Amino acid sequence: MTSATSTLTGSDPADGERPERGGSRDVRLVYWLFAAFYTAMSVGVCLLGRATPPPRPDVTDLQVALWFDKHQLGIQVGFVFLLVIAGGAAVSNGIIGYFMKRMSSGKVLAYAYIAAMGVGAIPGFHLLLICWLTATFRPDRDERVLHLLYDLGMLSYNGSLGCFTAAYAVLAIAILYDRNRVFPKWFAYISIWQIVTEVVATQMWLFHSGALAWNGMITFYIAVVIFGLWVVCLLHLMRRAAGAETSRTPALYAREA
Amino acid sequence: MTGTATRGTPRRSPDRDRRLPGDIDMWVMVLGDLFFFGCYFVTYMVFRALSVEEFSAAQRHLNIGIGVTNTVILLTSSVFAALGVIAVREGALKKAERLLLATGACGVLFTLLKVHEWHSEITQGYTIQDEFFSFYYVLTGVHLAHLVLGLLILGIAVRELRDPRGRRPGIIEQSVLFWHMIDLLWVVIFAILYLMR
Repeated sequence: MTSATSTLTGSDPADGERPERGGSRDVRLVYWLFAAFYTAMSVGVCLLGRATPPPRPDVTDLQVALWFDKHQLGIQVGFVFLLVIAGGAAVSNGIIGYFMKRMSSGKVLAYAYIAAMGVGAIPGFHLLLICWLTATFRPDRDERVLHLLYDLGMLSYNGSLGCFTAAYAVLAIAILYDRNRVFPKWFAYISIWQIVTEVVATQMWLFHSGALAWNGMITFYIAVVIFGLWVVCLLHLMRRAAGAETSRTPALYAREA
Repeated sequence: MTGTATRGTPRRSPDRDRRLPGDIDMWVMVLGDLFFFGCYFVTYMVFRALSVEEFSAAQRHLNIGIGVTNTVILLTSSVFAALGVIAVREGALKKAERLLLATGACGVLFTLLKVHEWHSEITQGYTIQDEFFSFYYVLTGVHLAHLVLGLLILGIAVRELRDPRGRRPGIIEQSVLFWHMIDLLWVVIFAILYLMR
């Protein structure tokens, strides 16, 4: 790493030359992979898997079995597809970590973000896929077992949030301490909102209905609006940060001999 | 107020007239937070409207004395904070530091009273089993989390005042802006949780 504390652009705009196209090719490629992964995840989880908007938590064993039967094909197609591309989560964390390493706040926070999001993806993403795929590929199992898989999938998907809280916290700290202004400070504050919604979402373990259940207005819908806003802002800011890089932007690592 | 200012009227620079207290980043935080708290409040009001009698019955178990005391404490803290900003603008840095510390002390007192209130209610059996109390704990809990964050930001502002290389008025304004938002949110929470019947 030559200089994580160097400025992001490293170019002189007053040299009269035509501005270079921002961002190296690999950064632009990974950025678009990030965008494509989040789009695919939205389609797989929302349209096919039916996990968002969430189904009701206050249902009987029979209702759960009927629900899985009704959505069997969508869950199987959507979630098998997501299992295949699940590595996109790592790539997505990597590109954010890359920009965090450009910050003057240090590499440790970047590694902490990648690690926290990586660990969080197991209960927050994979376990939902595994539970609901098991339920739809083994429909002959006891209805109570199917109900357990239904609950486990949803509570794991929306209610296991400590790792994400840590990830958003280190991202916010990194941005607030960064003097290179890779991301603006207001994005740190939006990340802090994410922490608050994640903590409030813990209530869904206790409630089967109402505003604090897993399909509740406070624990889910307001939180998902904030998450959507966070992702949209992140896409815009990473595109801007990638565009600010030129061929003269210092490399993160020393060139190989 | 520029060339048309009448004789005897203090002439103020256009920059000062247009300047935003704090910075745009903190305003994004404050306005966004107000919006999302507004969503929480609307949700609470909708659920309250669906079970008015149950909510009103549960509300009677709240300690209104502690609620009023905490409101007075936070309003007082906001006065200290505003005076602190004025002191910074006038260059009275030691006075500003004392005022911000007084603001923080009010915040700590609020926190202690809130924890005592929660402890008292939980030991009396008023837990999240009751729908009103589930809202009560979430709304006051999220507010308290903001207050603790506000204390952290006030600490950064005090450190800024003590650093001879720092002392940027903008940092102090940002911290006080956030503190005023905490105060404003509490006034609404106090009204809808404690007072509304």
